[in-house]
Amino acid sequence: MKVLDHLEEWLISVLMAGATLIIFFAVIHRALASSRLSGVQDWALQLNFSWAQELCIIMFVWMCKFGAAYGVRTGIHVGVDVVVNRLDPRMRVRVILFGLLAGALFTGAVGALGGSFVWDNGAHYAFLKLFHMDLGPVYEGPTTPDLEWPTWIVYSAIPLGSSLMCLRFLQVAWAYWKTGELPRHDPTHVEGVQDDAPMIGETVAEAERLEKGEMPPAAPSDGRSRR
Amino acid sequence: MNAAIIFGLLLALMLTGMPISISLGLTVLTFILTMTEVPLQSVALKLFTGIEKWEIMSIPFFILAGNFLTHGGVARRMINFATSLVGHFHGGLALASILACAMFALVCGSSVATVVAIGSIVLPAMVAHGYPMRFGAGVIITAGSLGILMLPSIPKVIYAISTGTSIGALFVAGLLPGTLLTFMLCTVTWYIARKNNYPRMTRANWLQRLQFFRKSVWGLMLVVIIVGGIYSGIFTATEAAAMAAMYAFFVAIFVYRDLRLKDVPKVLLDSANMSAMLLYIIANAVLFSFVLANENLPHRLAEWMLSMNLGQTGFLLVVNLILLAAGNFMDPSSIILIMAPIFFPAAVQLGVNPVHFGILIDVNMEVGLCHPPVGLNLYVASGISKLGITDLTKAVLPWLVTMLVFLVIVTYWPWLTLVVPRALGMM
Repeated sequence: MKVLDHLEEWLISVLMAGATLIIFFAVIHRALASSRLSGVQDWALQLNFSWAQELCIIMFVWMCKFGAAYGVRTGIHVGVDVVVNRLDPRMRVRVILFGLLAGALFTGAVGALGGSFVWDNGAHYAFLKLFHMDLGPVYEGPTTPDLEWPTWIVYSAIPLGSSLMCLRFLQVAWAYWKTGELPRHDPTHVEGVQDDAPMIGETVAEAERLEKGEMPPAAPSDGRSRR
Repeated sequence: MNAAIIFGLLLALMLTGMPISISLGLTVLTFILTMTEVPLQSVALKLFTGIEKWEIMSIPFFILAGNFLTHGGVARRMINFATSLVGHFHGGLALASILACAMFALVCGSSVATVVAIGSIVLPAMVAHGYPMRFGAGVIITAGSLGILMLPSIPKVIYAISTGTSIGALFVAGLLPGTLLTFMLCTVTWYIARKNNYPRMTRANWLQRLQFFRKSVWGLMLVVIIVGGIYSGIFTATEAAAMAAMYAFFVAIFVYRDLRLKDVPKVLLDSANMSAMLLYIIANAVLFSFVLANENLPHRLAEWMLSMNLGQTGFLLVVNLILLAAGNFMDPSSIILIMAPIFFPAAVQLGVNPVHFGILIDVNMEVGLCHPPVGLNLYVASGISKLGITDLTKAVLPWLVTMLVFLVIVTYWPWLTLVVPRALGMM
């Protein structure tokens, strides 16, 4: 389980960073390719970045599917809790459990449906081919327009991500049943802000310096790294 | 009849407190299973293809950029610059924090990020200078909502996606209303501060102002990247967002050096978590609006609303009231995703400009962010100030009333929103 947790976190972080870098380089590349500098332009024109947009979209959709599963674990998926919070405790437990199980039902259903879609649109063909079996009338499945990847691989984010999400819902429901605790995403806790006492002090100090009409020291606050 | 079933089911599921994305998805699944011939497999596929749009991809990028800005010391330098500009008036630090929120909003697309970034620095400083915490929190909660009105904004992107309006035009359309709201909030703050004789600071001279400006200029440069890039056609909105994220990363790590490289994975993970949640709601909402469209509901609702002969004025009033009411139950993204496709056709038929309508919805969402029970700004400010929600609700009142007045102005004075995008030739 721990391995799966880490894999999930690692995957979505890498997808996020990767997509940003790809678009960054694609934009730089386009700027260079349209520049007048002959050497640079020729070099840039040799590279082909037309696939960047498609890859970025695929990466983000994958990030969305697996990130949504991670989100169940961190409790970031918000609902309307105005009514639920007013119920008496026993009823409340039941309603919340119902909500979590409904989540598991939906994601499970989507996982299964997505799985059968992927199977019919290429995965079946690919497996038969892999094991050198009779292909028969099985459909080879389409490919994506720019990268020309088989779409079944791209779309397998749905069954994989959704099944993982279903698993997470069941995990959270189980933990809630046992301990009565739900994961809560706390928007007020932001990394790197809470331990920022020196920064606040600096603002006040600088404001006070201003008050006395002194010149603020230019160098230390600019080149300062946090401890 | 079908409409009643769809909305009834959605409402019932949402009231159980399950995630909004799941209630949307389950409603669609039930509906398709029991009442239509649409193949079920298409539901799963639609969850993928629904968000396969290039414009939607700007959302993760803007979230990432916002997180780098929040952690990267950009806010602190903006506060210093703002303090040097207006610190010498009555309630100087409070005015400065509004101004800093406005500056931060120019480069950041989320109001919660704005409250966190500015509030966590300025609130303790205000208390240290002898302001009551309630006063400071009230200022920050409302000023933070500028985050979704000024230039880039995630609710605007979502509106643009669900109605097909130009993202660039929506971004710049918020500029003038945002400036007006900044001014109105400042006026109220100044008035209250003068009445209670809150502390002032000595006036900074122009040399000091220049120095603080020079330090904050790295953050402010992002405005040039985003607006200049989109306006000149160098990049699309999504590319501008990606560039903003890279730039914010660069500034945070190499220029200001307030963020360490080893903190970056955490920022990436947080941003991915937040974006995935939003994209997941969007995917399910796309599914939902696909079902609505399949039943031809938006069109029929539009006809029904037109048949009531409200006229433009009455229609906008009704929309405002419904959106304000919805702000009591849901977060902005969900409201826009569910409501915008329903109201949009009627609005267009009544001659409301799509960009104006978008900004109007945006301002409604701002109000919703500032009052209980779901106003996220309020909860964030409560986390920073350690004040209870009831306390904050009272504290925020003077500014909340100001925002309602501002909402009326925006609703019935379209020129305010439309003049800038028209002048730039974006619409």
